[in-house]
Amino acid sequence: MTSKYLLKYPTGVADSPVISKTVLKTGVMMNILRANVDYGEATLIVDILGDKEEQKKVVDYLRGEGVDVSKLEKNITNNVEKCVDCGACIALCPTEAISFKDDYSIKVNSDKCIRCGVCVEACPLRALEIVRA
Amino acid sequence: MMKTIKEINEKIKKGEAVIVRADEMPEIYEENPKRAAKEVDIVTTGTFGAMCSSGALLNFGHSDPPIKMQRIWLNNVEAYTGLAAVDAYLGATQLSEDRGFEYGGAHVIEDLVKGVEVNLKATAYRTDCYPRKEVETAITLDDMNQAWLLNPRNCYQKYNAAINSTNTLLQTYMGTLLPNFGNVNFSGTGEISPLNNDPNYETIGLGTRIFLCGAKGHVISEGTQHSPKTGFGTIFVQGDLKEMSPDFIAGATIPNYGTSLFVGIGIPIPILNEDVAKSTAVRNKDITVNLFDYGVPRRTRPVVREVNYEELFSGKVDINGKKVRTSSQSSMKVSHKIMETLGQWVEDKEFFLSKPIKNLPGDSEFRPLKVKEETKFVADIMIKKAITAYQKDSLKKVSEILVKNAIDQIPIVDSNNKLVGIVTTWDITKALAKGEKRISEIMTKRVITSRKDEPIDVVARRLDKNSIGSTPVVDEDNRVIGIITMADIIHRGVSK
Ligand code: SF4
Ligand code: SF4
Repeated sequence: MTSKYLLKYPTGVADSPVISKTVLKTGVMMNILRANVDYGEATLIVDILGDKEEQKKVVDYLRGEGVDVSKLEKNITNNVEKCVDCGACIALCPTEAISFKDDYSIKVNSDKCIRCGVCVEACPLRALEIVRA
Repeated sequence: MMKTIKEINEKIKKGEAVIVRADEMPEIYEENPKRAAKEVDIVTTGTFGAMCSSGALLNFGHSDPPIKMQRIWLNNVEAYTGLAAVDAYLGATQLSEDRGFEYGGAHVIEDLVKGVEVNLKATAYRTDCYPRKEVETAITLDDMNQAWLLNPRNCYQKYNAAINSTNTLLQTYMGTLLPNFGNVNFSGTGEISPLNNDPNYETIGLGTRIFLCGAKGHVISEGTQHSPKTGFGTIFVQGDLKEMSPDFIAGATIPNYGTSLFVGIGIPIPILNEDVAKSTAVRNKDITVNLFDYGVPRRTRPVVREVNYEELFSGKVDINGKKVRTSSQSSMKVSHKIMETLGQWVEDKEFFLSKPIKNLPGDSEFRPLKVKEETKFVADIMIKKAITAYQKDSLKKVSEILVKNAIDQIPIVDSNNKLVGIVTTWDITKALAKGEKRISEIMTKRVITSRKDEPIDVVARRLDKNSIGSTPVVDEDNRVIGIITMADIIHRGVSK
């Protein structure tokens, strides 16, 4: 079982190898899907590879280290009122989270999304939105 | 001739017309061409995509006291008013003065079709007959006397596909192009695209009645840049905005390019004879376009390869042995709905065919713009003796070179003069503060470069886009052969 989490922490914390430390301390594996380190803050999207309990262990540990952790239940949504099913977003998605259904309408697989935002920026109808964590 | 438009209209009246979608026709035709031509009366076609050359001709009526409306804005989007008083043409790509790319003429048109009230602001000079200087009010589509969609270049038969060979993301009128051949963007609906089903203009002409954004519209001429000889025909269409449906018209933002209007067009092709039947039996695999490299912003872009619509619709095309994903920029879903709706109209005896009063030219080609001033290239104005430093040079030495030459950045090369990075005075300052010593640690490795055969307008755009003042000029082997700065472009070039 895996679940996606959004981690945020000030770059002061980022100086210490917080992710490696967490993996070592908890023994639970993590997959970094996306990392964005800015001057003030680091934002990470990780997959925690473990059952409910193991995930909780990791989350608790990270919080103890001063990391802001939120679980990503829903990542991307498509506003069907606005979407014209053009497909301009499909090939842009790095994780192939967007595809055509048989009837040429768009299917968005929120589980696959790593919140990179490329599709949101590119959609001509402004129909896509990253759900706030 | 086997059938006439009149005969087909008779059949429609009697409820006997046989209507087939363009994607169904190839199979029917291939089974028995003669029978297909005889039995099928109408093939419906459809397309729904961004068509920039679109706009609305509007008449607002007169206020009391009246105003000439010399300049007008609808929701802060300016419309063209060099016409009679209170007439205006609102172009789809005109950007709003307050929301930039996010809202333009196309969005105003969409709002009007949706029945949304829009703000109208007009100014003018006073005349004896039009004494008023300004007016501001809110109007809806119903309030206008006439509101016509009037699109001079719509419904491209097919369109060349786009890819990006450079290492930066590009935002073009063909949509977002990922770096390093990351995706292929294409537009058009292939075998169901209206003009692909009558490429010789045997049935489509001036006066052809069509489905236009949910209304009945007409072809009023060939479109601008109509180029049937090369397979890139276009049409000029007109229709009543008041009858249109928001399901088939939508304002769009092409990111960092501009606004555009998604227009839905369906053309019924009357199967008059076997030739026409054959044209409507075209398949996606028979319609080819060039895949252009948009990394080269010139009129003549390099062709990466030829592709057909079957490959494009399959979701992946092969580029140098790599499978690259494709994205359509037109909606197949809505295009199918257009074919269905048009077919339903005919079945319900609400839509009859019209015989064109003049055929569209079938053999014209479009010409490029002649520009009197010669294009200037990087080679014409670059500084050939670029000051560079070696990767192994000390921080001190590099700082001295910067100071001595009064420059604020310097390309870093290896022993073969190949570019490996760039260092700015800011990098040096940071290095001193942090106690770094080696050039290779402090230099920026990803350098924006230019080639000597690029037009300077192209480089000016690159500098602007990356907020930098200069770029090294490199040859095929990435060796530094010069440097070009914004100051040189402004002083010695022509780019403004
Ligand atoms: S790009 Fe936007 S409008 Fe087009 S299919 Fe994707 S979400 Fe829909
Ligand atoms: S945000 Fe990125 S990962 Fe998520 S669906 Fe859009 S393109 Fe895919």
